Amino acid sequence: MAESLVLRTTVNGTAVARAVAARTLLADFLRDDLGLTGTKVSCDAQVCGACTVLVDGLPVSACSILAADADGRGVTTIEGLADDDELSPVQRAFTECSAMQCGYCTPGFILATEALLADVPDPADAEIRHALDGNLCRCTGYRPIMEAVRLAARLRQEARQAEAPGDATPPGQRPEHNEVTR
Amino acid sequence: MAWYPPMIPAFDLRRPQTMAEALRLVADGATPYCGGTELIPAMKIGIMRPDVLVDLKVLPGLRGITVRDGRVRIGGCTTHREVSGSPVITRHARALASATSQLGNLRVRATGSLGGNLCFAEPRSDVAAALATLGASVELTSAGGQREEAIEDFLAGPFTTTCGDDEVLTAVLLPAAAGRSHYVRFQPAEYPTATVGVLPGPPARVAVGAVGGQAQVFRFGRLADVSPGDIAGQVEVLPDRQGGEDYKRHLVMVLTERALEAAREDGDG
Amino acid sequence: MTAGGSGEIGGHSVGRVDALAKVTGRAGYAVDHRLPGCLHARVVRSQRAHARLTGISRDAALAVPGCVAVITAEDLLAAAAGRRGTGPLFLRFGHVVPDHWILAHDKVRYYGEPVAVVVAETPYAAYDAAELVDIDYQDLPPLMTPADALAADAPALHPDRYSGESIMPGTASGEEKGTWQPNVAYQADLAWGDAEAALASAPVVVETSGHFPMLFAYPMEPYNAVASFRDGILEVTSSAQHPFQVERDLARVFGLPLSQVRVQVPYIGGGYGAKSYTKIEPLTALAAWYTRRPVKLVLDVEESIYTTRADSADVTVRSGFERDGTLIARQIDVVLDTGAYLDNSAQVLEKSVNRCFGPYRIPHLQVTARAVYTSTSPASSYRGFGAAHCSFASETNMDLAAGQLGIDPIELRRRNLVARGQQLLPGRRAMDTDLADDLAVLREAITGYRPSGGRVLRATGVSCTVADAGALPSSTAQVRILSDGSVVLHTGATEMGQGSHTVLSQIVAEELGVPLAAVRVAPQDTLTSPFERTTGASRTTTVVGSAVQRACRDALEKISRMAAEIDGPGPRDGRPAAAPDIRGRADFAKVIRAWFGPGGGEVAGVGVVRRAGNFAQLPPFWEVGMVGVQVAIDPDTGQLDVEHLVTIGDVGKALNPAGVEGQDLGAATQGLGGALWEELIYDGQQIANANIIEYRVPRISDMPGRIDTILIERGDGPGPYGSKGVGEGARGPMGGAVASAVAAATGVWPDRLPLTPERIWRLCQAGKATTATGEPGDGERPRGVAEEAGK
Repeated sequence: MAESLVLRTTVNGTAVARAVAARTLLADFLRDDLGLTGTKVSCDAQVCGACTVLVDGLPVSACSILAADADGRGVTTIEGLADDDELSPVQRAFTECSAMQCGYCTPGFILATEALLADVPDPADAEIRHALDGNLCRCTGYRPIMEAVRLAARLRQEARQAEAPGDATPPGQRPEHNEVTR
Repeated sequence: MAWYPPMIPAFDLRRPQTMAEALRLVADGATPYCGGTELIPAMKIGIMRPDVLVDLKVLPGLRGITVRDGRVRIGGCTTHREVSGSPVITRHARALASATSQLGNLRVRATGSLGGNLCFAEPRSDVAAALATLGASVELTSAGGQREEAIEDFLAGPFTTTCGDDEVLTAVLLPAAAGRSHYVRFQPAEYPTATVGVLPGPPARVAVGAVGGQAQVFRFGRLADVSPGDIAGQVEVLPDRQGGEDYKRHLVMVLTERALEAAREDGDG
Repeated sequence: MTAGGSGEIGGHSVGRVDALAKVTGRAGYAVDHRLPGCLHARVVRSQRAHARLTGISRDAALAVPGCVAVITAEDLLAAAAGRRGTGPLFLRFGHVVPDHWILAHDKVRYYGEPVAVVVAETPYAAYDAAELVDIDYQDLPPLMTPADALAADAPALHPDRYSGESIMPGTASGEEKGTWQPNVAYQADLAWGDAEAALASAPVVVETSGHFPMLFAYPMEPYNAVASFRDGILEVTSSAQHPFQVERDLARVFGLPLSQVRVQVPYIGGGYGAKSYTKIEPLTALAAWYTRRPVKLVLDVEESIYTTRADSADVTVRSGFERDGTLIARQIDVVLDTGAYLDNSAQVLEKSVNRCFGPYRIPHLQVTARAVYTSTSPASSYRGFGAAHCSFASETNMDLAAGQLGIDPIELRRRNLVARGQQLLPGRRAMDTDLADDLAVLREAITGYRPSGGRVLRATGVSCTVADAGALPSSTAQVRILSDGSVVLHTGATEMGQGSHTVLSQIVAEELGVPLAAVRVAPQDTLTSPFERTTGASRTTTVVGSAVQRACRDALEKISRMAAEIDGPGPRDGRPAAAPDIRGRADFAKVIRAWFGPGGGEVAGVGVVRRAGNFAQLPPFWEVGMVGVQVAIDPDTGQLDVEHLVTIGDVGKALNPAGVEGQDLGAATQGLGGALWEELIYDGQQIANANIIEYRVPRISDMPGRIDTILIERGDGPGPYGSKGVGEGARGPMGGAVASAVAAATGVWPDRLPLTPERIWRLCQAGKATTATGEPGDGERPRGVAEEAGK
């Protein structure tokens, strides 16, 4: 192992093996090596969330993680959510609520929402704000995004009940530590 | 000085399969990392320019939370998210659960490790302040063996620790029956401006974070002995763009009062 | 033929036509664009605020594998001299004053200024090489503030006035007026009556001054461009709001006819005025010209901050009132810090002059304004400029006066508002809306929600502005009805999130009677889109929408004549049948098929808007900015939460209500950012917080507890179906509204923004000191609705 390595990862369900320089950041690997330009780069400092992707289901800042750290793991980008042109419930909710203007932050928000709802299927507003506090939007003022997340939770619930009617919603993992002064 | 460019300088990446191999690389000058949430930004700004990085994530034994002999042991590569979601931590180290559920953002919490956070020694670290509250210590491993150091000694100043050049932080240890600790923070900007953690004990501990070069611990016999005014007057404060000295001292006093109030509501003295 | 449609437009909100692309990641932005074989560029930037360039060391950089070139202004000039078929290069741009060096030549004027551009095979090589380029400087005195720059002994940042080279007629530089001073980039003033004398005799005189900070609009897509130069044709893709303005600047650089220059702009990842006019397109194009290969340049966010910020402003306001609150006179001075280059700050200054005195009848007015060069990063447009810069001082002035006069602050404004049909600015369009009614709606809304509880100081603030919006009414649109009746719209209006593609598509659908899904907006491309001067100034729905409407009607007329021709002469008298009413896809397809025959065809309609008819008077329309905030302040920490936000969108007719509300909330949120957290801070020669960690913008957790984005539709706009423009109004007044609320809560008037927790805490402390001693603190104790609840 030296200044480059062979990266073996799965991106949106497809196995990928590429030689990359060790210094390659995941965002650049996705955008430049794989041509998946849906993941956006903005602040380069892991605070804006535009580059959010899921690695083994966990939200990460692709701008601040080595591509090498995806080795042996599964990466999900915005391109991997729609199933044969059928949008995910989160994507549908963002569409229905027009929860975007310029759209640059949108892939990041959608993936962060996917991560949130996987953890907490029915989040309260305070939980939504806490989870998405690390995703910036400069256009909307956030109101339609909140609406979209609430709708997405409902749509996912409906989809679950359609698949398995009568199953109770699995309890979410609620954060318990809210001693937030500010 | 440049702020965050979109790339980092070239380096050599190593992925040792054993701790012994990792320690050899570290002793040779390599920089260990887990999540990279402190490292990569530091490399972007240029305050760290490692030639060799050692990925600790594949090593066994560095992740996970266990309780043994009255102590909670948190593996150095355990993520903030794992810590905040752990029933063990919620029960024995509530201040730490609180800190790790609020620091940074969703992605930093999912990726960043306790060990990485402590070794970077950002003065405003929530993890450091919460662990200082709890009277935690760190386990440092080298080829020569293992040693334990109290967190307030390990954190020596801004971005400075007593971690030796040949050592790796392998675990964080804290007393299992730490009591119901409290952690309050004021964070109008991206990093907290001031944080206060309180461990009722007895003996009571108050740790003040974010305002000085590192987390600062104040010890008292009982919670009732804690004087927010004294703490605010004595704590080291570094003024910056988030606040002048008088403002930060005032915040320390206010947050200490609020933490004490929370402790009293819990029935802790 | 009946014009207009079924009347279905507006009233309900259609989904955005670009939503699907944006939720799937398929929406393409300039930053996603690349060309095969393109080189990658990285800029080498000045490490000094003001210095002569005395040398450059580039050997180490050139030795980096993959590095192709390190290019300076001198290299470009030398190359041009040696290259056959190339005229001299014009190495500056600037649509009012062409002062902006593409690469620094001879000297640098700000820390961060581009000095050289490195071009390499990969972005990594470009980055590594750029790190190794060394510049030698001979320091000159840096002028870090307007005071530095206006001092008697200050060196001139721009010895050359460039006035003979301005390509924008009618610009008012001091040279024409004989009042030019060194380092005054631009000046403007406005006066009527005799303000000085009126103030001397006014019963009540109130003075305020306010500092409006340097801001960064932070579009989340950074500045970027891809350029290729081949066979005398220059093609550039970038995130420019005004591709035709950029095209003109590029043509000038290379001495090319406009037809040989092409600027393409896909979706823009945020604009807000910060992407208006030329940015790094010439630099990228020159790198492509020099290396004879396509070049891609993407700035990071720090570089974006150094490329364009918003002007800061120091504003003093003296107002004279009668005892009943009638405004007699206002005397206002504005100094903008425009940084090292003027860019669009001439316009920012002009609009500051027009927008600084508020929507009021003022018998005597005197406004003096200067934009001053400093050795700081260049400043240019940012959403709602002029009103944003000045209303902090001028609207808090009204509240201060209200306190002194013993009149309710909203009532004081109401008494002075210009009425519909009255002149606000001489020679301009009279006030075209009912401001008093807008204000009444605001009053009712902001006082209608009274949360209580918590150990907080609560207070309310409102603020009013009106802006001469719409810029210049010059727009062309083209609509093509294809052989199957579906439609393509060609417009030069760019989509940066404001919803232009959606609203313009809605107009087409409405006019032509086709489903929205059958309308496609062609990409913005100066080669194929009709000329559009700018996308900004809230003008697109009104001005471009009108051009689109006219294009549709032109197409309908043509297709009706075609239909009449097909039907042939009338049965009885030989005259052609009356032109039938042809609308809808099926009808279009039938006529086109019949008229063209088996070859097939299409029908194109063109619509032109220029300064005539209902757009003869400027401004095209007045944009109202009225907001109210209720805040809750924790006096122990200075933390301020906005409990209630009200915005008034006086929109004429909302063609897409959700779109309008989204624009109002977005503008208000940026306004809150500037009022509470945002500020670019210079520390010595450089910006101390040129990153998004320390330049703090509003987050989801900052959302006001309750938000009312109210739309008022009186159908009184000049745009399609009675519409007017929106999008900027809610940003301008926000600073004043927040400051007034803070003053009411703390007892102390702030004189600068942003009102961070520390600043608010200090105001609280000062206010307590005021109460304790009973003596006046920093200004008059404000009248207001402060209540300390639940203590």
